[in-house]
Amino acid sequence: MKKHTVRFSLNGTPREITVNANELLLNVTREQEKLTGTKYGCGIGECGACTVHVDGRPTLSCLQLAVAVDGAEVVTIEGLAKGRELDPLQKSFLDNNAVQCGYCTPGMIMIGRNLLDENPNPTEEEVRTHMRGQLCRCTGYASITKAVMGAGKCATGDFKIPAE
Amino acid sequence: MSATQLKSVGDSSWRKDGISKVTGSEQYAPDISVDRMWYGRVLRSPHAHARIVSVDTSAAEAMGAVCLTFADVPQTRYNERIVSTPPCLYRDRTVVADKARHVGEALVGVAAPTEELAEKALRSIKIEYEVLQVITTIEQAQKDGADPVHDTVLLNGEDKPIINNVAVQRTIDVGDTVKGFAESDFVIERSFKTGRIYHAQMEPKTVICQPEADGGITVWASTQSIHNTRILLGQIYGLPLNKVNVKKVALGGAFGSSIQMNSVTPIGVGLALKSGHPVKIATTREEDMHDHVRYPSEIKLKLGMKKDGTLIAGEMHAFEFKLKQYVGLGGTFWGQGPASKCIIRSDGVPELLKTGAELINWDKRPKPGSQTGRMRRGIGMARGFHTSGVGHAKASGAEMIDYSGAIVKLNEDGTVDLIQSLMDHGGGTNHAISKIVAEELGVPNHMVGISPCDTRTSLYDVTTHATRGIYAGGAAALKAAKAVKEQIIDWAARVLDVLPESLVIEPDQELGQGVIYCPNLAERRMTVGDLARYLHLNSLGTISSSQSMRQVNCPPAYVSYYVDVEVDTDTGQIHSRRAALGSDCGTVVNPALASGQLIGGLSKGQGYALTEDNQWDPVTGELASKGFWVDGKTPSISESPLVADIETHFAHTYEPTGPFGAKGLGEAAKNPAAAAFANAVYSALGIRFYELPITPEKVLAALAEQAAGKTARAARQAPAPVPVAE
Ligand code: FES
Ligand code: FES
Repeated sequence: MKKHTVRFSLNGTPREITVNANELLLNVTREQEKLTGTKYGCGIGECGACTVHVDGRPTLSCLQLAVAVDGAEVVTIEGLAKGRELDPLQKSFLDNNAVQCGYCTPGMIMIGRNLLDENPNPTEEEVRTHMRGQLCRCTGYASITKAVMGAGKCATGDFKIPAE
Repeated sequence: MSATQLKSVGDSSWRKDGISKVTGSEQYAPDISVDRMWYGRVLRSPHAHARIVSVDTSAAEAMGAVCLTFADVPQTRYNERIVSTPPCLYRDRTVVADKARHVGEALVGVAAPTEELAEKALRSIKIEYEVLQVITTIEQAQKDGADPVHDTVLLNGEDKPIINNVAVQRTIDVGDTVKGFAESDFVIERSFKTGRIYHAQMEPKTVICQPEADGGITVWASTQSIHNTRILLGQIYGLPLNKVNVKKVALGGAFGSSIQMNSVTPIGVGLALKSGHPVKIATTREEDMHDHVRYPSEIKLKLGMKKDGTLIAGEMHAFEFKLKQYVGLGGTFWGQGPASKCIIRSDGVPELLKTGAELINWDKRPKPGSQTGRMRRGIGMARGFHTSGVGHAKASGAEMIDYSGAIVKLNEDGTVDLIQSLMDHGGGTNHAISKIVAEELGVPNHMVGISPCDTRTSLYDVTTHATRGIYAGGAAALKAAKAVKEQIIDWAARVLDVLPESLVIEPDQELGQGVIYCPNLAERRMTVGDLARYLHLNSLGTISSSQSMRQVNCPPAYVSYYVDVEVDTDTGQIHSRRAALGSDCGTVVNPALASGQLIGGLSKGQGYALTEDNQWDPVTGELASKGFWVDGKTPSISESPLVADIETHFAHTYEPTGPFGAKGLGEAAKNPAAAAFANAVYSALGIRFYELPITPEKVLAALAEQAAGKTARAARQAPAPVPVAE
């Protein structure tokens, strides 16, 4: 199979990779780039566990061909925190105990972050509409909804400092 | 000790694995890869029932792949779940099968340097099948002349024949049911059916096996028990256990589906041993959906009761035994099917029922059948439980294995390592247990770290199942913490020159340390860190303790569900609108996470009650969903009640046999859900449903029947079941 060179930015770092035409972005990030935070849940667009940002848009990386991100900016869950400073939504997930097994969490945070970028104070209905494609088997979604709606507070520094 | 005096237990600070989970750095089995690793794939049966006549792997091998067929694997049968002792272990599995017993059964393992080549090699394998009768129902299986799914089963070394596909029958008689029914004011007879639920854990089952130079293996696997996985792999491949090392990695949910050793685990190991390369098998969602399921059940139930609702007689013919009667404080309680018994020493049921009823407005619930519009509301309740662990469960001459171990050690700066093989499914069990250790040692919660570990460096833990994590695993860690505390006090008494009895340890949040002091001699004090450094610099050794323990009680963790539904009588859809979920888990160790587990239980319970059914096509035996998750109908955010409409509450109880008064919560969180939803639908429509899931199709059919007057007649003949049996 003919190999293709793809140049893109991954979490702010320029990358140049060689891939087959049928290579998926999910496999590139997980296997070639060793960024395993993005999860495989179904591989066919059913669960949202593989959500990343491509040029700011939430994208199911299991359905995205790697060659198509040539020239794009890709951000994965690993690119959200600024150094040791967590993204407000990551803090909000912790404050609201929106993490159980954590397998859906990276995808949930990436889609939630995208909603907040467009709409910093979403209503519950807006959160439900935006996140309806994400599955979580553990939490029942209430804590996740609260985490997304409450992230605004975390952004202003008005979040609970953890006891530890 | 009352809950108000506790420092770490009961607080809701960030879970210790939280930061790694929100940043994507937590490692689950699918995230592990090692150098020189090959990729494994599994050839699965397209037939529901077929004998393998021949397998030709030559083309695959010519491509450079390594194949694992029935001829390559040890032929001794095993039971992939080893929670019971051998008298009760029915062994019917081999690493790969010589006969397909369901669509998707693993028949040949293939490994190759790349995933692509492995897949290509897999497709080149030729299998000749002798197709057998497809059996998808209990009736079909039991018919005379039905093709046997398993010809025999191995029990205690004896090859037992299976007649009409029934491997074992158990009869349990307690008391005199004839007399009981004669004395009953009401007798109700009903049949119930439950659906075939896919666990739908987010992490598809994965294994990585690395062969070691000394002939041993290192294994990373999705599992609820690293030690049981190790024991089984040792047995199957004839390896001494000190050559089998199973690593503890985070688990992306399980819900019981990893209580057994997963089917891909021994295949990955077989491929690694045969190829000499590390091999990783990461299943696809489609494979995973074909691989495990919560079995459907059919239950015929006959109950006799007094006018006040007291149940006095019961008879049940079930393919899952589930008769559980509520008894109050001091009563003997049966749990875990017929196998385990306990004495109730904490009982929060009356409080749960009262609080739940108030929260949902139980007194204002619609009278069944009183509404007429398109949208009809209904409120239902149900109560359930799960024992916390299995205690001293015995059944048919076998024992349930139930013990946990923990190592607690004091580091040279006063921090503490908790080393425990017990798996956390996501509910926060490990975090909770680290808080129990902090509480006992008198150090701040953050001082106790949860160590990565493996089977070589940890003590045995049976498995995280049966709502036992905090109650049984926490008790083992508490035992180790107590021993460590004794040593700390002992050494501190010598250093401070006071009697050990005069010393206490308490967390000092400002210092961020545990402080050891003598309450009436203010100057005799030091931090746990000071002591640890002193011991280290004077070469006095490490304070540590390694303890195992079995809980002999298994107190029921009670849960109450009050749910409010809205039924659309045009579409038949049932919407879950409000819920009040109560738990009696004794002392609540992680309040926010416990509440989250209840809400998660509501979501899973709602799926079980209303939508999920992973049925097989009765003719082909194929999965009706074909492995598409959306067709498995796992509830999404859109089907969940609004945040403000879900209330959780906890009973104020203290279980004397539990660590700091704690019992379990996990599985109990979902148990009453289906009954509560069915009762709510009855309140909305005046129609009883006895078969899960209560799909729109069933609702519309029942409404049409009701309109035709049939249901009304049937309802008049049977007394309405009593909601609470007290
Ligand atoms: S893995 Fe991409 S949507 Fe499920
Ligand atoms: S936290 Fe486990 S799937 Fe969402």
